[in-house]
Amino acid sequence: MIEGAKWRRWVYFYIPLGIFIVWLLFPFYWMLVTSVRPDRELYRPWMAPNYAPFWTTHPTLVHIIDLLTQTLFIRWMANTLFIAIVSTLISLFCGLLAGYALSRLKFPFAGMLGTGIFITYLVPQTLLFIPLANIIRNFNLGDTPWALILTYPTFLIPFCTWLLMGYFKAIPRELEECARIDGATRWKAMLYVIFPIAVPGILSAGIFAFTLSWNEFIYALVFLSSAHEKTVSVGVTSELVRGDVFYWGQLMAGALLGSIPVAFIYSFFVEYYVAGLTGSVKG
Amino acid sequence: MPRIGRRKFLKISGAGAIAARTGGIAAILASGKAPAFAQGATVHWLRWNDFVPSSDVLLRDKIIPECAKDLGITLNIEMINGNDIQARTTAAIQSGTGPDVICALNNWPQLYADSVAEVTAVADKIGHDQGGFYHVSTVVAHNGKKWLGVPWCIVGAENAYRKSWFDAIGVSKFPNTWDEYRAAGKKLKAKGQPIGQALGHSFGDPPTFWYPFLWSFGGAEVDKSGKKVVLNSKATVEAVKYGVAFWKDCCDEGGLAWDDSSNNRAFLAGTISSTLNGASIYLLAKREPDKYLTEKGTPLWQDIRHGIMPRGPAGRFSCQLPMTNMLMGYSKQQDAARKFLAWITSKPIYQAWFDSQGGYTVGATTIWEKDPIWNKDPVMAPYRTVGRGAEFPGYPGPADRNAAEVLSKYIIIDMFAKAVQGMSAEDAVKWATSEVQKVHA
Amino acid sequence: MAVSGLATRGAFARAPRRGTASRLLEDERWLAAALLLPTVILLALFIAYPFVEGVWLAVTNATVGVPGKFVGLANFEMLWNDSIFRVAVWNTFVYTAVATVFKLGLGLWLALLLNRNFRGKAFTRAFILLPFIIPTVLSTYAWKWMFDPTFSVINWTLFQLDIIHSRINWLGDPGLALISVIIVNVWRGVPFYAISLLAGLQTINPELQEAAAIDGAPPWQRFWHITWPLLLPVTMVVVLFSVIQTFADFQLVYVLTGGGPANATQLFATYAYQLGVGTGLLSQGAAVSLAMFPFLLIIVVVQLLYIRRVEVH
Repeated sequence: MIEGAKWRRWVYFYIPLGIFIVWLLFPFYWMLVTSVRPDRELYRPWMAPNYAPFWTTHPTLVHIIDLLTQTLFIRWMANTLFIAIVSTLISLFCGLLAGYALSRLKFPFAGMLGTGIFITYLVPQTLLFIPLANIIRNFNLGDTPWALILTYPTFLIPFCTWLLMGYFKAIPRELEECARIDGATRWKAMLYVIFPIAVPGILSAGIFAFTLSWNEFIYALVFLSSAHEKTVSVGVTSELVRGDVFYWGQLMAGALLGSIPVAFIYSFFVEYYVAGLTGSVKG
Repeated sequence: MPRIGRRKFLKISGAGAIAARTGGIAAILASGKAPAFAQGATVHWLRWNDFVPSSDVLLRDKIIPECAKDLGITLNIEMINGNDIQARTTAAIQSGTGPDVICALNNWPQLYADSVAEVTAVADKIGHDQGGFYHVSTVVAHNGKKWLGVPWCIVGAENAYRKSWFDAIGVSKFPNTWDEYRAAGKKLKAKGQPIGQALGHSFGDPPTFWYPFLWSFGGAEVDKSGKKVVLNSKATVEAVKYGVAFWKDCCDEGGLAWDDSSNNRAFLAGTISSTLNGASIYLLAKREPDKYLTEKGTPLWQDIRHGIMPRGPAGRFSCQLPMTNMLMGYSKQQDAARKFLAWITSKPIYQAWFDSQGGYTVGATTIWEKDPIWNKDPVMAPYRTVGRGAEFPGYPGPADRNAAEVLSKYIIIDMFAKAVQGMSAEDAVKWATSEVQKVHA
Repeated sequence: MAVSGLATRGAFARAPRRGTASRLLEDERWLAAALLLPTVILLALFIAYPFVEGVWLAVTNATVGVPGKFVGLANFEMLWNDSIFRVAVWNTFVYTAVATVFKLGLGLWLALLLNRNFRGKAFTRAFILLPFIIPTVLSTYAWKWMFDPTFSVINWTLFQLDIIHSRINWLGDPGLALISVIIVNVWRGVPFYAISLLAGLQTINPELQEAAAIDGAPPWQRFWHITWPLLLPVTMVVVLFSVIQTFADFQLVYVLTGGGPANATQLFATYAYQLGVGTGLLSQGAAVSLAMFPFLLIIVVVQLLYIRRVEVH
C-alpha cells in the first residue's frame, strides 16, 4: 500500500509497527519469563550482576503446574468464560436493537432516551456496588453467576448502543429504502440489510463487551463468595496475594493463562470479520 | 479455598489422618450424637489470607470437621486479600446480607460499630480465661461500653535486620535509640545496604512504623480525650525533621513507592539491611532455605535477627496490627456464630491455629506469651511480647472513627512523605494539622 | 456498493400477508418501543435504584450501617475545602487529558498500520489486543513488578542502554508516579482504540481512496479529506466512552500506588473509595463520586454537540 522505495516501507510501516508490538507485548513476555523463573532467581535486584531479566537459565513449570493443580484456576476460567459470554450476548442483543432504534427511527423522546441510556454509564462503579448489593439480595442472586451476568450489561449496554449507533449512522439510508421499495418490512430491512453491514461494528462492540466483563473486578469481588464461583481476577488475587507475600510465579502464570487463550479466540474473529467485511462491500 | 501446598503438608503432618478420624458431619449423623444445633446451621467466616499456608490447611482439614463435630455447625471459611475485605464488609452491611463473621483488621470494628451484634459475654469470658486482652486489641475492639467483636490475634511487627551487616559496622546489638539506629543506618547506606521502610499508601507497614516514630518524639494527633487536635506541636515538627534526616541518611528512597510487600522483596533480595515488618520475611526464608540466600551463598534466614522499635526522646512505642472477629448484626445465625466464636477462640482450638502460625501472629490475650513455641526459636523471641505496650493510631486518645479516618486518609504518613519530598517540616505539619482538624470538625 | 441483499430480495417480495404485530412494527414509533424495551427494562431494574440511592447518600450524613439524615449540600461544602479533594480533581484532569490524547494518537496510528495487508495480519491484530484483554488487576501487578524500585526491568534496560546512570524511582517520585500510572493506562487503552478505529476504517469503501489516489491526492490529504471525516463518528464515540472510563478509573491506581505517594496519584474514584469504603463515610464518598458528574457532563455535552455538528455536515 505504501508507494515508493523499500526504505519508505520500513520507516512508515515495519519500524513503527515493530515498536508498537514490542511495547504492547513486552509485559506479556515479562509475565512469561516470571512464570517459568524459579523462585530462587526471582528476588534479584536490578543492579545485581547476575540479574537476567529477559531469560532464565533454569526454566521451571512448577508455578504453572501449581496454579493448575493447587488452585481452582480452571474452574475460575470456566466461570469467567460463561459469565462473559452470556453477559456479552445480552448486551449485544440489547445494544443492537436500541442502537438501531435510536439512530434510524424517528420517534418522540429519541434524544432524551439516548442521553438517558448514556447517563447510566456516567455512574462510577466504585460506589455503585454498594446499593447494587441490595438489588442482588432482593433478587436472591448473591453468590451465583447471574449476579454478574445481569449487572455487567448495565455498563456494557450503553457502550454497545452508542458504538453501534455510530456504525449505523455511517450506513447510507438508501440501502434500507431500496429494500423497502422491494417490499421488505422495516423489521426485515433491519435484520437482513442493515445488521449484516454492521458486522464489524457488532464484532468490535462484542469484543469490547466481552473484554470488560472478562476483567471486571469489583462486582465479582463483592457479589461472589464461594471459592468455586469466583472469576479469574478475583480468584487469582485472593489466592496468590497472601498477606505481604506475593506468589509472583503463579500470579504471572495466572495472568498469562487468563488472557492468551482469549487472544487466540479473538484471532479467529478478527479474521472472520475482515473476510466478512470484504464480502459485503464488494458483494 | 486456599489449596497451596496442601499435598506437601499432608505428607508431612498427616493432617489427612486427623480429618479422617474426625469424619465431619457424616460421622456425627452416623453415630447418632445430638449436635448442639439443628442441622444446616452454617456459619460463613470471611478472613484475610495470611501468608502461612499450613494455617489454611489446618483450618480446612481440621477446624472445619472439628467444628461440625463439636458444635454441629457447618463452617464456611472464605479467604480474600486483606485489601478487599472492606469492600465486602461495606456491601454486606448496606445490603444486610453476607458473611456471618468477618475478621476485621486494624480499627475497622470502630467503623462498623453500629452494625455488629452483641458479643460482650463471649469476649469477656475469653479475656477472663486467658489472662486478659492486650491494650491494643481492646482499644480497637471495645468502644468503652461493649465489645464490638472478639479479638482474634495480633500480627506482630519488629525490625528484621541482617546480623552480619550490622556486625560489619560494629553494631552487635540492634540499636536501642533512634540516634543509634540512625548512626548505624548512615554507615549501612554508605555501603549500599540502606534501611528499607515503606512511606506509601498501604494499610500495614507505613502506619506501624511512622505512627510510633511520631509518638516516640512526643508528637500525637490528639490529646487523651481524643477531641482536641494537638498535632501542631514542637514535638511533631521535631519528629518530622528527624524523620526526613533519617530518611535521607539511612533509607532506601524507593520506599515512597512501597506497599506492604515491597520491603519483604527487597529484604529477601538483599538490598536492604533492616525493615520493620511482620515475621513473614524470616519465616519465608526459613521455610525455603535453598531459595533465599545471602550474598555469600549461605541460607538467608540464618543471618536474620529481630529488634524492637528504638527509643525516642519521649520513650519507646510500637504499633501492632490487631485482628478482631466481628459478629455481624444482619447475620441470621447469631446463636450459632456466637457459639462458634467462643469455640474457636477457646484455648484448645486456638492452640492448634496458634501453633500453625509459628509466631507470625500472637494471641490477643496475654496467656500466649507463656506458650512453649517461643522457646523453639530464639530469633522469634522478640515477637513473644509484641502485644505489650503496643498502641494504635489515635493514641493517646481512643482508636475511634476519627482516628480511623486520619489513618485511612494516610494524613500522618503523608505528612512525613511530603517533608521527605521537600516540603518544610513546619508546612507539612501545618498541612496535616488542618486535615486532622477537618476530620474532627 | 451492492449489498448481499440480492438473494433476499425475492424473499421480501413473497411476504404479502402481515399480522397485527408486524403492522405495528411497521410504525416507526412502535418498532422503536419494541427495540428499546429490553434495554430499558434491564437498566431500570439494575441501575435506576442504585443511581437514586447514590444521589441520596451524597446529601445525607450516612455512614456504613447508619442511614443518616438529610444535610443538603454540606458534604459538597466540605469537599470544597478539602485539599486532598482538590489534588484529586487536578490529578484526574491531567490523567484523563494526557492519557486520552496519547491513546487517540497512538491508537489511530496503530489502526492505520494494521489496516494494511501484511503477513500474520489476523494474528497481529488479535494479539495486539492482549493488554486490553488481560484482567486489569493482574496486568497491573506485572507493571508494579516492572516499576518496582528494587527490581525494575525498565531501569535495567535503560541502564544497559546507557540512558540512565542511577535508578529512576518510577512510583516513588510524585511527578513520575502520575506519569507511570498514565503509561499503564495508555498501554491498556491503545489496543482498544486501535481495534475500534480499525473496524471504522474497514467500513470505509476503499474505492473512495483509490479514486482520490488516481486524482493524484497525496496520502496525507487522502487521509484528511476522505478517511478522517468518515472515521469521525466512530472516533467520537470511542473517545467519549474512553474519557468517561479514564475519568472514573480506579483499579489501576488502587493496585499500583493506592493514591500515594502523598496523594500524587489520587484520583476521583480512588478518593471516593478511600472515603466511602476505607473510612465508611458513605455520604462523603458518594459526594466525591457525584462531584465527578458535572465535570463529566460538561465533557460529554461538548463531545455530543461536536458529534452532532459533524453529522450535520
